[in-house]
Amino acid sequence: MAKAKIRELFPVCAALALGIGVLWLATDGFRALTEEGARRLHAAKSKPKLPAFVLEDMNGDVLRLGPDSGKDGKTTLVTFIYTTCPTLCQAGGGDIAKLRDRLREMRLDGGVRLLSVSFDPVRDHPQQLRLYAEQHGADGAVWTIARPSAEALGSVIDGFGVRVIPDGWGGYQHNSALHVVDGEGRLTGIFDTDDIDGVLNAVRDGT
Amino acid sequence: MADVKAEPHTGAVKFSMLIAGAVFALMMVIGLVMRAAQGNLIELEAPFFYQLLSVHGAGMVGTAGLSGAAVMWYFVGRYVPLSARMYWAFIALFLLGVVFILTAIFIGRYGGGWTFLFPLPAISGEAWEPWAAALFMLGYVSIGVGFLLYHLAVGYPIMKHYGGFARALGWHVGFGGADPADAPPPAIVAAAAVTIFNTIGIIVGAAVLVASLVHLLVPGFAVDALLAKNMIFFFGHVFINASIYMAVIAVYEIVPEYTGRPWKTSRVFVLAWTAILLFVMAVYPHHLLQDVVMPPWALVLGQVVSYLSGIPLLAVTAFSLCVYLHGSKMRWDLASSLLVLAVAGWSVGTVPAIIDGMISVNKIMHNTQWVPGHFHIYLLLGVVAMSFGFMAWLVRGTKASESGMSGLDRMAFGAYALGAAGFALMFLISGAMSVPRRWAVHLPEWVLQDRIATAFAVLVVVSTLVFVIKYAVRLGRAPG
Amino acid sequence: MRRPLLILSIAVFGSCVLFRQTLERDPVTHVLLLLPALAVAGWLMAVSLGRHRLRLREADANALTLLGVFAILFWMLPRYIDASLTNPLVEAAKFISVPLCIGAVLAVSWKATHPFLRGFLKANALSMLGVLAFLYIHAPVRICNSYLEVDQQRLGYGFLFVALALSLVWAVPLFFPADGGATPNKHLSGRATA
Ligand code: HEM
Ligand SMILES: [Cu+2]
Repeated sequence: MAKAKIRELFPVCAALALGIGVLWLATDGFRALTEEGARRLHAAKSKPKLPAFVLEDMNGDVLRLGPDSGKDGKTTLVTFIYTTCPTLCQAGGGDIAKLRDRLREMRLDGGVRLLSVSFDPVRDHPQQLRLYAEQHGADGAVWTIARPSAEALGSVIDGFGVRVIPDGWGGYQHNSALHVVDGEGRLTGIFDTDDIDGVLNAVRDGT
Repeated sequence: MADVKAEPHTGAVKFSMLIAGAVFALMMVIGLVMRAAQGNLIELEAPFFYQLLSVHGAGMVGTAGLSGAAVMWYFVGRYVPLSARMYWAFIALFLLGVVFILTAIFIGRYGGGWTFLFPLPAISGEAWEPWAAALFMLGYVSIGVGFLLYHLAVGYPIMKHYGGFARALGWHVGFGGADPADAPPPAIVAAAAVTIFNTIGIIVGAAVLVASLVHLLVPGFAVDALLAKNMIFFFGHVFINASIYMAVIAVYEIVPEYTGRPWKTSRVFVLAWTAILLFVMAVYPHHLLQDVVMPPWALVLGQVVSYLSGIPLLAVTAFSLCVYLHGSKMRWDLASSLLVLAVAGWSVGTVPAIIDGMISVNKIMHNTQWVPGHFHIYLLLGVVAMSFGFMAWLVRGTKASESGMSGLDRMAFGAYALGAAGFALMFLISGAMSVPRRWAVHLPEWVLQDRIATAFAVLVVVSTLVFVIKYAVRLGRAPG
Repeated sequence: MRRPLLILSIAVFGSCVLFRQTLERDPVTHVLLLLPALAVAGWLMAVSLGRHRLRLREADANALTLLGVFAILFWMLPRYIDASLTNPLVEAAKFISVPLCIGAVLAVSWKATHPFLRGFLKANALSMLGVLAFLYIHAPVRICNSYLEVDQQRLGYGFLFVALALSLVWAVPLFFPADGGATPNKHLSGRATA
C-alpha cells in the first residue's frame, strides 16, 4: 500500500519540482518575468562594462561615453529620448529636471552628470536638441542632451540593451528608463525615470 | 477495492460543522463587540474596529460557505459516491486560508474590508503593510482553490451518474416533458445548479484576486477599478448565495423525515432551480446601482432580476414547505424547528433586499445600515439557522426521551429567533434613518438603536453557544 | 502510423516556419496563432505516430500533463516571447519545445489524466486568461519591449476572447455529454487502475 502510494505520488511531485525549478531559473527566482526586468536585474548584478561611444552634444561638441568617459571619475545618468516625442520623453524630461534639483540640494552634482541621448539622430540635430534642452531647463552644466552619429546609433542602443520600435505614427516606443554608468564606464543600475530615491541611493553607493 | 458505495462521510461532515459552529459563535462575539462599540458601550480604536469588521465579514461569509458545503456533501453523498480525499483537501485548504486571513488581520493589521475593493487594500495610509493585504488575498485564493476542488469532486460524479448536467438539473423533465419520476432528487438538482454557478463565480473571483495581487506586488500594473468592482461583487454575491442554496438541501432532505412525506422533484421545481441558476449570476449589479458609470442596461437588469429572484425561492421552497407541513403530523424538535425558521427567515429577508434593489431607493439606502439589515436577516435567520438545524439533526437522539424539544432547546430556540429578528430590525430602522454603514463611531442620535441591537445580539450569542455546546457534547458522546 | 495526419502535422509546422516573420510581427498572431499552431503540429504528430500504443498509468499521465502545463507557462512569459524575437537560439528552442513539450506531451497524457486534475487545470486556465486580459488591457506599462502598447491591448482582448470561447467549448459537453453519460466511470466504481 505504502509503495503504491509512493508510485502514485512520485511522478507528480517530480513534475512539480522540475516545472517550478525551470520557471525559477528562467525568471531569476521569479524576479524578472519581462525583458525589461531581466535587463535591470542583469545590470544591477553583473555591472557590464560598456563599449566606448562618441556622441555629439547639443552645442556640437564631442562627448565621450564609456571606459574613457570616466577620466574625471563622474557617474553618468543616461536616458534615451527623441525630442519630438509627445509623451514619455516630455514626462521623463520633467523627472530628470527634478532629479537634477535633488542632486544639487544634496550637493551630489559635482560627481554626477545627466545625459539624455537621442536615438533619432536624423531629426534631432543639435539645434533641435537645444530646443528640448530649453524646454526642460537643461543648461549643459549638469544635464546635457546629445546624439550619436547615425552609423553609431545601433551600437549605442544595443550596448545599453535599449529597444526602440517605430510606433507607426512616425514616432517610437522605447524603454523609459534611467541608466547609471559609473566612473569606470560600467552599467551598474537601471531605474524608472521617476524612481528618484532609487537613483539617488545608487549614486551615493557608487561615488 | 470493490465498488465504492454512495455513503455520506459522516465523520468529516460532523467535524466541519464543529468548526463552523465554533467560528460562527466567535464571529458573532466579534459582531457583538462592534455593535457595542457603535453604541458607545465600549471603546474601540477605529483601526481596530475595521480589523474586526474585516474579520467578521470574511469569517462569516467563509464559514457560511463551509457549512453549506458540508451540508451539500453529506446529502449528495447519499446518491453518488464521493471522494473523501478531495473533501479533506478542501478542508485543509480552507483552514490554511483561515490562518492566512487571521494572520493578515491580527498580526498584519489588515482592515481593508472583506470585499478587498480595488485599490483599497493597496492604500492603507500606513495602517497595514502591503504584505498583510497580500496575505489576506492569498487566504482567499487558498479558500477559492479549496472550493474549486470541492465542486469538481461533487460535480464530476453527478455529471457521470446522471449523464450530464442537463439531466442532473432535470431539464428533460422541465423542458423535455419527461416523467417527473425520472428526475434526479431535489438534492441533486440543487447541487448541480450550485456547482455550476459557484464554479463560475470562483473562476471570476480567482481572476480578480490574482490581478489585485499583481497590482500589490507591481504597483505599475493598475487594474480597471470598475471592472474589478464588478468582478468582486459578482464573485461575492454568487458565493454567499451558493452557501444558502447549498444549505437549503438540508431542508429538502431532513424535513421529509419529520413529515413522513418525501420531497419530490417536480416540473416547477426544475424550472425554479434553472431560474435560480441564472438569476444568481445576473442579479449582482444591484450592488452597483450607485456607480453612475455603469451601463444603464446592467443596472436595469440588476433591478428586474432582483424583483424576480425572490420568486423561485418562494415558489419551490417556502410554498412547498407550507404544503408539506400542512396536514402532516410534523414532529417538532430543535432540528425541524430551526429548519422551518430558516426558510421563513430567508423568505422574509428577501423583502428588504428587493426594496433595496430598487434603483430609486438604492440611491439613498445603499450605504446605510439598511443593507446589513437585509443580509443579517437572511444570514442569521437563513443560512446560519439551517446550519444549526443540520447540526442538531446530525446529533439527534435516538432514544424516545430525546426525541422532543427539551426546555433548554425551547428557550434557546426562542431566544435565537427573537434576538436575530430584533437585531436585524434595528439595522433596518437605522438604515431607514440614514445611518451610514461601516462607521466605527456613531453620532449620539443613532446610539439608541445600537444599544438595543447590542442587547438582541447578546440573546443571539447566548443561544448560539447553547446550540454549539450541545452539539459538541453530543458529538463526544456518540462517536462517528 | 497514420500518414495523412503526419503530413498535416508537417504542413502545419512548415507553414509556421515559413510565415514566422509575418506571424511574429504582431503579438496577437504570435501568441494566439503561431504558438498554438506549433502545439497542434506536435499534437498531430504524436497522434499520427500512434500515441494509443503508449499505455500510460494515470500517475504518469498526471505528471506529464503538469510538465506540458509548465511548458505553456514558460512560453507565456513575456521575457521569452521578447527573447525569441531577438535571439535565434531562443527562437529555435521555441520551434522545437512548443511542438514537443506542449503538443506531443499533452496528446499523449491528457486523456489519461485524472478528471479532477483536468477540471482543475481548465478552470485555472480560464482564470489566468482572465488575469492576462485584465493586465494587458489596462497595464500602463509595456510588457513586451518588442511590441507597441496598443498591440498589447489587442492581445489582452484576444485573451479575453479565447477565455470565453474555451469556456463554451469546455462547458457544453458537461451539460450534454456525447455518449449520453452512459459509460461507466472507472474513477468512481472500482478504480481498476489503482
Ligand atoms: C450575533 C450575530 C451578529 C452580530 C452582532 C453582527 C454584527 C455586525 C455589525 C455590527 C456589522 C457592521 C455594521 C455596519 O456596517 O455598521 C456587521 C457587518 C457584517 N456582518 Fe454581521 N453580525 C452578526 C452575524 C452575522 C452573520 C451570521 C453573518 C454571515 C453569515 C454576518 C455577516 C456580516 C457581513 C458580511 C457584514 C459586512 C461587513 C462589511 O461591511 O464589510 N454577520 N455585522
Ligand atoms: Cu518617448
